[in-house]
Amino acid sequence: MRALAIILALIPLLIPLVAPKSILFTIGLLFLFVVYVVTWDLVAGYVGEVNLGHVVFVGIGAYTSVLLTLNGLNMWLSILVGGMLSTLFGLAIGSVCLRLRGYYLALVTAILPLVFIQIVNIYPNVFGGYEGLSVGINNALHRTVEGRFYISYLFTLASLIVIYKIVNSKFGLRLKAIRDDPDLAESLGIDVFKHKVLAFVISAFFSGIAGGITAFYRLSVGVDLFGISLMLLIIISAILGGLGTYYGAIIGAVIVYVLKYMVLTSFAQSLGMAGVDDLILYALLIVLIYKLPKGIFGTFYKS
Amino acid sequence: MLPVLIIGAIWGGILTLVASGFTLTFGVGRIFNFAHGTFFAISAYVSYILYPHLGYLSVVVGILSSAILGLMLYFMVKPIRENEIMVILLTLSLALLIEQVILLTFGEDPVSIPPIFKGSLNFFGVEVTSTKLLSFIVAIILIVLLEFTISRTRIGKEISAVSQDYESAMIVGINVERVFMLTMLISSILAGIGGVLYAQIYSVNPESILEILIVAFAIVVLGGLGSVKGSIVSAFLISYIQTAVSYFSDARWSELASLLVIIAVLIVRPKGLFGVE
Repeated sequence: MRALAIILALIPLLIPLVAPKSILFTIGLLFLFVVYVVTWDLVAGYVGEVNLGHVVFVGIGAYTSVLLTLNGLNMWLSILVGGMLSTLFGLAIGSVCLRLRGYYLALVTAILPLVFIQIVNIYPNVFGGYEGLSVGINNALHRTVEGRFYISYLFTLASLIVIYKIVNSKFGLRLKAIRDDPDLAESLGIDVFKHKVLAFVISAFFSGIAGGITAFYRLSVGVDLFGISLMLLIIISAILGGLGTYYGAIIGAVIVYVLKYMVLTSFAQSLGMAGVDDLILYALLIVLIYKLPKGIFGTFYKS
Repeated sequence: MLPVLIIGAIWGGILTLVASGFTLTFGVGRIFNFAHGTFFAISAYVSYILYPHLGYLSVVVGILSSAILGLMLYFMVKPIRENEIMVILLTLSLALLIEQVILLTFGEDPVSIPPIFKGSLNFFGVEVTSTKLLSFIVAIILIVLLEFTISRTRIGKEISAVSQDYESAMIVGINVERVFMLTMLISSILAGIGGVLYAQIYSVNPESILEILIVAFAIVVLGGLGSVKGSIVSAFLISYIQTAVSYFSDARWSELASLLVIIAVLIVRPKGLFGVE
């Protein structure tokens, strides 16, 4: 499995040689989407807590880094600050909601995207309102699409390796123990609350950085990064691939992203009804919950 | 100040109808229903479409459609009830699916139902339309009825038994599945009535589905998850907070207000005002 994964991980390096620029651009965004999904799955699949506001981490990272860069700070430094701010926000939310068992994290995080979208719209002078903010080519990750593609690839690869190490470490094992039986884990001396918060904060950090990189990759930041539609896309990917299976999240992200941006969006446009694509995806999620609750990876690969 | 008190009480009545059902399904079946807001919106939209053909009978059909949706949801949740994550994701995606269908069919503009009673009354210098008064009276009657059903009747005792200990309830011979189904039905009907009352006073749009859900969250967390009494008291509290926020500043902050209430409760008193757990 591991050798296969390494070979597959190297293939994207060849894509710029064959693919046209527009496709290359989309694939670079797909890589970043993989990071969103894997970091969401770190909390949902390994800790068993549902974060319905994962997009808020992405959005905080993106908006913070763009605003700082537009005010003269170095781009890489602003991306890092954006990631840190996401982490702090994750720490605050996590330490309030994860202290209690039950539905509190899902409940609180479900509200967050709507609150952030409102804030962006209430202060259009600062956040650019519905249209969002443009980054400008001078502030891009790299002037060429190929350059940005490689940066996105390297960042994604690095994040995936770190998350892989985390889920396969003793820490990762303890997370799974908490997910399967929190009482038993507690009685074995695992500090359930601390472990949950730490996993949540790691997830927030990587998705915050990914958000910043996304903004400087596509040269804009907008409310879509806080959107429920993106949130659901992340959830569908993780469920399709298989919760808590690591490779599943990656496979699911690739399939769902391609389905959404290369198939369904053009299908909806040909019908002349924007929104049909989301409708199909929501229906797909409902079908998956009944027919394939363990996901592709969980069903077909037994470790 | 007086308008805030009066409007807050009316809005509080409608919120109680929505929140008490939400907390009931959670308390009894441990079902955290993210699709609860669809009960509220579907009845309003169904009455809106049928009103030109059926007149006020359309309101009854609207409430009936909420009940049917409630039953449907009961059967959809049944096979996956043990898996908390999947229940959350199923009900959420169902809510978004219905929101999207409404959006594609009716567009994003708000719709409303013509009020049953015209005219208005004067309370200490504040004009209150008859519809608002009606909705307040209906809400109070239903709340009293719900409290009575739960505390005095046999089925109410069965509901309490299942919410306290579902396995023991099964052992003493209570048909647990019937109780689950019944609570989902009560919950959907109450929210459906809330929806048709609200659409006569104000208007609903596709976003109402999530907006009302978030208010319901704040109410049940403040009142204590699963406590019907708590949800009644905190529905009025939240209603006054919301009415005051939109009266003195901007209605756009109301979601933030709900969020802050929830976070404050979780920090200070996680089990809520009337929490049992």
